Amino acid sequence: MKTSIKIFILATGLFGLSSCEKFLDVNDNPNAPINENLLLSAKLPAALISTVNQETGQMNQLAALWAGYWGTTSEATNQFFKEKTYNGVAIRGTRDGIQIWEGSYNTLLYYQLIKEQAQKEGALFYSGIAKIMQAWHFLHLVDLYNNVPFEEALLGTQFLTPKYENGKTVYEKSLQLITEGVNDIKSASSLDAPGKADVIFEGNRQLWAKFGNTLKLRALLRQSETGNDAYISAEIARINQEGSGFLGLGENAYAKPGYLNSKDKMNPFWEVNYRNAGGQTTNHISLRPTAYIIDQYTTLKDPRLATLYTSVNGTYKGVLFGNPNVDAQYSAANTSAFKGPVENGGKASGLFKSFDQPSVLLASFESLFIQAEAALRGWIPGVPKTFYEQGIAESFKYMEVAASNFAAYNQQSSVSLDAAPDKLKRIIEQKWLALNSISSLEAWSDYRRLGFPEIPNSLLAPSVTARPLRLMYPESERQTNAQQTGLQGNDEVTESKIWWDK
Amino acid sequence: MNKKVTLFMILFMISIGVSAQVRTISGKVIDQKSGATLPGATVLRKSTKEVVSTDAEGKYTISAEIGELLSFSYTGYVTAELKVDARKNTINAYLEENVNQLSEIVVTGALGIKRQARELGTSAQVVNSENLNQGKTVNPLFGLTSKVAGLRINMNDATTGKTDPLIQIRLRGSRSFNDEKNNPIYVVDGVPVPDIGRLNPNDIENITVLKGANAAALYGSEGVNGALMISTKKGSRGKGTVSFSNTTSFSEVYLLPPAQNKFGQGQNGVYSATEYESWGPAFDGTTRDLGLKLPDGIQPQALFGAPAKDNRLDMFNTGTTLQNDLSFSGGDETSTYFFSVQNVTIRGVIPGDKSARTGARFNGSKKFGKLNTSYNVNYVFANRNTTPDGPWFNLYIQPANLDVAGLRNWRNPNSAAHPLNYYTDATGAKNPFFLMDNNRNMSDQQTINGKIELDYAFTPWFSAIYRMGLFSTVEESRVTTNKLSSTSGNRNVNGSVTDGNNIFRRINSDLILNFKKDFGKFTTRLLLGQNIRMDDTKNTAVGSANLLFPDLFNPGSRTGELNGSAALTKYRALGTYGEFTAGYHNYLFLTLTGRNDVVSVLSKENRSYFYPGLSTSFVFSEAIKGLKGSNILSFGKIFASYNRTGNVTLNPYGLNNAYSQINGFPFGGLVGFTPSLLNPNRNIKPEFVKSYEAGLQLGLFNDRLNFEAAYVYSDSDGQIFQAPVSSSTGYNNMMVNAGRLTNKIIELSINGDVIRKDDFKWNIGFNFTHINNQVKTIFGGQEEFRMFRQAYARVGEAYPLLKVSDYKRDDQGRVIVDAKGNTTTIADSAPLGTMVPPYQMGLSTMVNFKGFSIGAQFDARLGGWLYSEVVPRMYTAGTHPATIAYDRQPFIFPNSVINTGTDKNPVYVENTTIYSKGDKAFWDAQGKVQRNTAAKSDFFKLRELNISYALPKSLLDGQKIIRQASIGFVGTNLFILRHKDNTYGDPESLYNQTDGYLSFRQIPPSRMFGFNINVTF
Repeated sequence: MKTSIKIFILATGLFGLSSCEKFLDVNDNPNAPINENLLLSAKLPAALISTVNQETGQMNQLAALWAGYWGTTSEATNQFFKEKTYNGVAIRGTRDGIQIWEGSYNTLLYYQLIKEQAQKEGALFYSGIAKIMQAWHFLHLVDLYNNVPFEEALLGTQFLTPKYENGKTVYEKSLQLITEGVNDIKSASSLDAPGKADVIFEGNRQLWAKFGNTLKLRALLRQSETGNDAYISAEIARINQEGSGFLGLGENAYAKPGYLNSKDKMNPFWEVNYRNAGGQTTNHISLRPTAYIIDQYTTLKDPRLATLYTSVNGTYKGVLFGNPNVDAQYSAANTSAFKGPVENGGKASGLFKSFDQPSVLLASFESLFIQAEAALRGWIPGVPKTFYEQGIAESFKYMEVAASNFAAYNQQSSVSLDAAPDKLKRIIEQKWLALNSISSLEAWSDYRRLGFPEIPNSLLAPSVTARPLRLMYPESERQTNAQQTGLQGNDEVTESKIWWDK
Repeated sequence: MNKKVTLFMILFMISIGVSAQVRTISGKVIDQKSGATLPGATVLRKSTKEVVSTDAEGKYTISAEIGELLSFSYTGYVTAELKVDARKNTINAYLEENVNQLSEIVVTGALGIKRQARELGTSAQVVNSENLNQGKTVNPLFGLTSKVAGLRINMNDATTGKTDPLIQIRLRGSRSFNDEKNNPIYVVDGVPVPDIGRLNPNDIENITVLKGANAAALYGSEGVNGALMISTKKGSRGKGTVSFSNTTSFSEVYLLPPAQNKFGQGQNGVYSATEYESWGPAFDGTTRDLGLKLPDGIQPQALFGAPAKDNRLDMFNTGTTLQNDLSFSGGDETSTYFFSVQNVTIRGVIPGDKSARTGARFNGSKKFGKLNTSYNVNYVFANRNTTPDGPWFNLYIQPANLDVAGLRNWRNPNSAAHPLNYYTDATGAKNPFFLMDNNRNMSDQQTINGKIELDYAFTPWFSAIYRMGLFSTVEESRVTTNKLSSTSGNRNVNGSVTDGNNIFRRINSDLILNFKKDFGKFTTRLLLGQNIRMDDTKNTAVGSANLLFPDLFNPGSRTGELNGSAALTKYRALGTYGEFTAGYHNYLFLTLTGRNDVVSVLSKENRSYFYPGLSTSFVFSEAIKGLKGSNILSFGKIFASYNRTGNVTLNPYGLNNAYSQINGFPFGGLVGFTPSLLNPNRNIKPEFVKSYEAGLQLGLFNDRLNFEAAYVYSDSDGQIFQAPVSSSTGYNNMMVNAGRLTNKIIELSINGDVIRKDDFKWNIGFNFTHINNQVKTIFGGQEEFRMFRQAYARVGEAYPLLKVSDYKRDDQGRVIVDAKGNTTTIADSAPLGTMVPPYQMGLSTMVNFKGFSIGAQFDARLGGWLYSEVVPRMYTAGTHPATIAYDRQPFIFPNSVINTGTDKNPVYVENTTIYSKGDKAFWDAQGKVQRNTAAKSDFFKLRELNISYALPKSLLDGQKIIRQASIGFVGTNLFILRHKDNTYGDPESLYNQTDGYLSFRQIPPSRMFGFNINVTF
């Protein structure tokens, strides 16, 4: 007995000493890959979809409310309250706010890591896409927050409190990023073309170059009122020099990852705003078009009205944005809802087509309206009217209106560009009608830049003249980068303007 | 069964009668605890006063008649009296150590080794079984609440455990920003286990609370937060005992946030049959339409009148808890056994909620010469079936005249309560009974906990202990939502199921070498040990969010993709430790400890770390001649200690950034990986907590009045936590070694016998704790960061700090209203105070009079703040009483001012003219001013009351089956006083580990009362 116990104790002690190293080396994660395990083609789709989801999700929703597209039923008076009241403090909150800043920089990090790996591996196609998409996010960040970190951003531990840079500087640096990105893509070996991993253009260099140029033109038009003319013409010259042109007819930056009819795997715009996989709906029952946009389509006898919305007893009826009163005439039952297959005999409709409809990052009609405006300003060659009419025709196509309706529609003096007393205003009006609920952020930016169209103010606005001009720096940023946010001065939603907003 | 036969035989033999006759009785006198024989013990034949002593082997021989009493006594032990009976000529007496004297108390120290309390240089408090089970709690940890200075216990609400709440336990405050890493270590019979919530409280002999790192340093990383040393019951040598007890108790909800009952459903003062919010007209006693027409064409109607009672209470049931315990124990010279079974059945206050726990334990010990062996096995099967949060909160936002009882009838398709007929499809309010029936969380959990311990005495001065423990849980869970089809998208409910399987296994092994040697007046002891720890987890889940059929919960019947996940973790640690204690004259002691840990979760360069400790104690009542034998001061000790304890709170695989597929990936063949937004840090090192402790312990008037005081200072630096960083770095958080937190703690305990007579005792105990906790630094110069919602860590303040939004006020604190009478909210939330009450007090009283005993435990916590997120939603829905304060009419906001100057140069004058609208928009905005729903969390409550009556011996004398019997009344939370501003709920409720946070997910608190029967055979 005694000896056996001694041996047992001794053996136990020895076990601990001899196999110590092996015993402790169990810290390799068996559950998830780490950076080194993953190819670029396993990372790029996730980054692109992250961009698309933010664009069609939180950004589009906020801007659709602020660009005059959406309101709520009287039952949902409480919903989107912070957006209706332009409550910047509530929007910047970490818990109940809208985390556009955080989401944007997180997605920027995804591209940053792809860019670093691609540069290490000499995979220029990937680094090119990463650069263009980083520019996409930085431009949006400036459009929403004005001064933001650029050079010191995204470097992890190197700069824990990144320095903010002037919005105008970030715009310039973003355009430079696009130039570099397009160059990278054009000089990439065909061996490292991403193919299916590029869920936007499937590795088409030409389309990426056009997308980059379109993005640049969008950013240049945004500064049309700043008097920054020398810079603008230099950049236009650079676009011309590159030579690929812009996204045209049938050329869309759509994301088609292969959506499935399953929770969280559907087109998110569809899933959030129309029906989820089980047929439940949340936003669809509360969200309604504004009376204002219904009026615009109605006045123009616009055939898109019928494909976008349902009618109530034969007429189309919208709601008043920010209406604090619970009024039966604006109840869910008495107002037009967004039309989808369920309301359209199972057929695709204006905005809601199917669970796997592509997500829109930048549609051809937006590019065409951008070109119409640039041509009108004489920045690019071409006839404004051609771009304008192609834009409307492409919008009809997207919104499931038969092409045969175009001629009659375009003939109306209220539509024809030739008949317009103010051509710029007319282009923006049609652009607004085409971007409806799709790229709402651009429509809101146009409104901030030019004041078109005459969107009514929220009935819950803090004052009659107060309009949303920007977002406040988020609470998380105020806590973690307080010194820098403190330097930016007034960031009130209705008071402080983005640099291009004159 | 055998037992009963034996008892019957004894009775039978007594009944046939035996004549008096002198016999020779022999036997041994034995120490109950160790089984060692006691030489020189006294055996007294009471009738003749004849006395003999035991020999060197503890044996004695004496003559006595049947029925006579023999008395066995030994210094330091409780005297035992045994009757000579006809059957046996051998009587062994097992004597219990007399530990009523403060100077002789023995505690379970680190590593489960018993030691004299007098040599401890740190605080330790023992809670015995009787005290622990006073409230007959199902979870043993609840039984500790407010009984130990420095120990704070809160019910931590879990979404899944409405009948089986989790517990948050803090010893001497928080040392880490990483909130879930502030738990003390639980040690059951020497084996560290992750949880003791499933332990049968009746199996517990006592719990020694080792406070703070100083006492528990030998447990290293986990001991930094103190230790609860749980000793389970062992069989008593000699007598076989069978005990049975039953407790049946009832619980009722209380402290619901109050609701108004003056205005009914509608908006803007206009009645609406389909509106659930209470912004309609005042109740007028008329009958009105309710909801839409039913499928059978009938328009339901309801009385639009103020109800006489709070209809919300109709949603709750009276909860019942049934506890049955049965235990057998016994033993002889070389072995002991204890066997128990327990069944607990709980029916919750929420209809349909139930849980049950069945457990069995076998503890045994056997001595083979110099080898002592002991082994414990505990198996527990616990299941529950509860509804997740939702039902009660849905009720808070619905009108006062709602016929809640009638809502139970929701299954009838032609009832207004049916989910397809409830209000309209455009509203968010749901029938609570539908929610609770449609959404279920189920779980079956099996726990096995066991140990084997071998203790071999090689020589009188050297022994070795080997102890191996296993703790394993297997939980099978199922979460279901039943499908409800509707043509309306908003009424449609997706059927879903998630089946989970969670496995945890811990193997813990300790080898301890124990050396003891006395050198004259000096005593020395050296412990050397090695600890191996292996933790393994495997969590898997599979499910579907889109089931095809109602009532069929299998992912096989689904549309769309199958959801699934699996996660495995391994944690390994190797500890080597030593403790050296030197004593002088048994009144001065010095202890040095040291431990080196190597843990698998850190990088190779950082994973080994050492930490030391030093403690001393001085029993001055024995050292100073003048005090020795004093009638006033029976015991006096001062003690002090210092420790620097290493701690690694990092979870496995925390050094690398793990990529995962989110946003719907993979889409068929298309994969997409994104990195975690927590920036990992390969260089994480252990964090260290320095703590100092000094204290005084006094026993006065022959230990009739005991007093203990301690002062503790702890300083945690270089903490491992996820520091928030600017998202513009790309990451949202970063794993860091940063941040410093200090605690200054004062603990006082007083315990005294006011009356100390044979049949009348009155004992009063009081404990007091003050914790001054302060955040010194955070990370990278940050001033504050958000822990959870309104809870912040802020430099220079206690942690966590409640920060809430407030009105814009003038310099006199008056609320500024604008031209429309609306208030404005300041942009930045203002700090209100700590969410953890810095002052905690416990008061206990126990009266024993003849067979009656009355025990009560009072609890008070003061100085903290709480916030309710429930009540703002009642403002929005118009059900909160504040919304009818002005009868829904325009009013002048009390104590408000208006600006008669400009925005830049404001001039504030008292508002006498501007009326606030007092409509929904106004009151909704008031609810969103968080200061309006924050309050002081002060409370005083009668936590436990136990009244019991033990049947007198005379009544039981007539028979031999029942040895003891008692009946009693037991109640918890019978009485509470809250701060006047707190109308929101139970101030000690926690949400998501956050003190002072009342969430709508929390089930309303309940009070409990019941009855208890104990019988010992």
